[in-house]
Amino acid sequence: MSARRARRWAHRLEPMALNVACGAVAVFILAPFAWMLVSSVSGEAELTRRPPIFAPSPPTPANYAFIFTGQLPKDSTRHGIFVWQTSHEVRLLLPALRNSFIVALSVMAANVVFGALAAYSFARLRFHGRRSAYAFILTSRLMPAVAVAIPFYAIVQRLDLLDTYRALILVYLAFTFPFTIYFLSVYFRYLPIEVEEAALLDGCTRFQTLLRVVVPCAVPGLVAAAAFAFMTAYNEFLFALLLTQTIAAQTMPVLLAAVATNPAVSHALLASCVILAIVPPGLLALVLHRYLTRGLAASIAR
Amino acid sequence: MISERSYPYATVLPVMLVVALFTVYPLLHSVYLSLHENVLTRPLDNDFVGLQNFREVVTGYYFWRSLWSTAVFAVMAVAAVTLYGLGVALLLNQVVLGSALLKVVVLLPWAIPAVISGIIWRWIFDGDYGVLNGLLLVTGIVDRYVPWMSQPFSARLCMTVAHVWKQGPLAAVFLLAALQVIPAELYDAARIDGAGRWHGFRFVTLPYLKATLALVLIYETIVAVATFDLVYVMTGGGPADATAIIGWYAYTEIFRFLNLGHGAALAIILGGLLLGLVLVYLRALRAEEA
Repeated sequence: MSARRARRWAHRLEPMALNVACGAVAVFILAPFAWMLVSSVSGEAELTRRPPIFAPSPPTPANYAFIFTGQLPKDSTRHGIFVWQTSHEVRLLLPALRNSFIVALSVMAANVVFGALAAYSFARLRFHGRRSAYAFILTSRLMPAVAVAIPFYAIVQRLDLLDTYRALILVYLAFTFPFTIYFLSVYFRYLPIEVEEAALLDGCTRFQTLLRVVVPCAVPGLVAAAAFAFMTAYNEFLFALLLTQTIAAQTMPVLLAAVATNPAVSHALLASCVILAIVPPGLLALVLHRYLTRGLAASIAR
Repeated sequence: MISERSYPYATVLPVMLVVALFTVYPLLHSVYLSLHENVLTRPLDNDFVGLQNFREVVTGYYFWRSLWSTAVFAVMAVAAVTLYGLGVALLLNQVVLGSALLKVVVLLPWAIPAVISGIIWRWIFDGDYGVLNGLLLVTGIVDRYVPWMSQPFSARLCMTVAHVWKQGPLAAVFLLAALQVIPAELYDAARIDGAGRWHGFRFVTLPYLKATLALVLIYETIVAVATFDLVYVMTGGGPADATAIIGWYAYTEIFRFLNLGHGAALAIILGGLLLGLVLVYLRALRAEEA
């Protein structure tokens, strides 16, 4: 084979090899989700065979039905009886998801409002202590979470906020503000300053300028910041575990960890819980993947 | 109405207050706790004991074991995440159909809670009913189920896989951003000079990526050393403390043995360790640039 023909072959093979590699990574990323999905529509008996049944037929909605309505399955040879009785905590998934949503949405809203206000001041205004305040906020995130677990508990207890949404919201704000402020102030700084100056000349206050001129231009950045804040709050585990005691405030990760570490848990029910719990952040990641990728990239490249 | 002069202070203050409440006070409190005897099962003995908590922690058998487990896991996890992230970033930077599709799903594992990543992979690696064992059995690679999570080495490996799956996307996106700003002319120039693929990567891509790689290494080391959620749901520190990394060890001191003094001392050691790592990396980075 001549050298030129070899090169032409390499030219044709290369995209194919790259596509195969992409496919392999996609399988690594998606296969665990797929197996959870299959498990969630299987009977317990199909999952506890060796090897398990890889394609349940027909798929059963019984696991989801139990989580939503508490209805026990009729086919006890397929679903078993005992594990359903030992897995009753899964019935708390919906209240836990509600808690997670309330906390995460509050954290998100506060991040967008207070984070944007502060970030804009850091980006554009000169005032006493600006540099040190900015440095303080950023370095505060270098503290490892476990290192301050006890004092956090003590503060929340002193404020009489144990087992409340407000405690989790406060703590998550302390965790998310630094990134939001860093991210948004970098973002604001890259917007064209001339429009803002024109608005100021026309007699707008700083606040009006931010609201009417900057915010409309910064929608993609604000969306990304909001999504990051939501995910951080929705996904956090350690402090949710420490600061909540009952289902009045327990969030989804706390409940799922309790369900998963129960040795007599039904695998099919656990899988159904996982699928339900990953829908919100999963959808966010899929729908906003462009914003998020660009946002993450911007946060490190600049 | 807030005057224009006080506007910046009014906007920065609420954020500063929240961050300060959960930074300054906790640090002081941790230091205070670490210098006093504080065991919840003996609530009345609250003497100042100086560095005794640190001494007891550092001379303890479990501390060194957990430090070793931490080091092993951190090396495995950071190396794996960085290599995987680099590979995925290089793939995403190509113009083929597959990479466009991969871009849509790549962030999925990063978006979900670490707790759930742990639950998913524990179920996959399960020694009794795991799908990995099922697939290996069906394809004839093993002839009986292997208890992956019951051997120290394979348990660490399982945790690393779950960690890479969850953390890799972020590293990939960071590195992709750095790849995209490399001027294409440099590759053309390298090709004219007779450089092949490998040389292009070695002498154009890598030097450009160095700063971002260092950042990814710092960030991933911090994340790996502070890992807690995965240990909690996947292994509970076992088998034989193989995965009882230092964050988990501090947690058990505080919440199982109720020894707040030990816990706080451990937490401060962990904080110092992380800070030290950050400084070492930053110095290495600056030395490279100079």
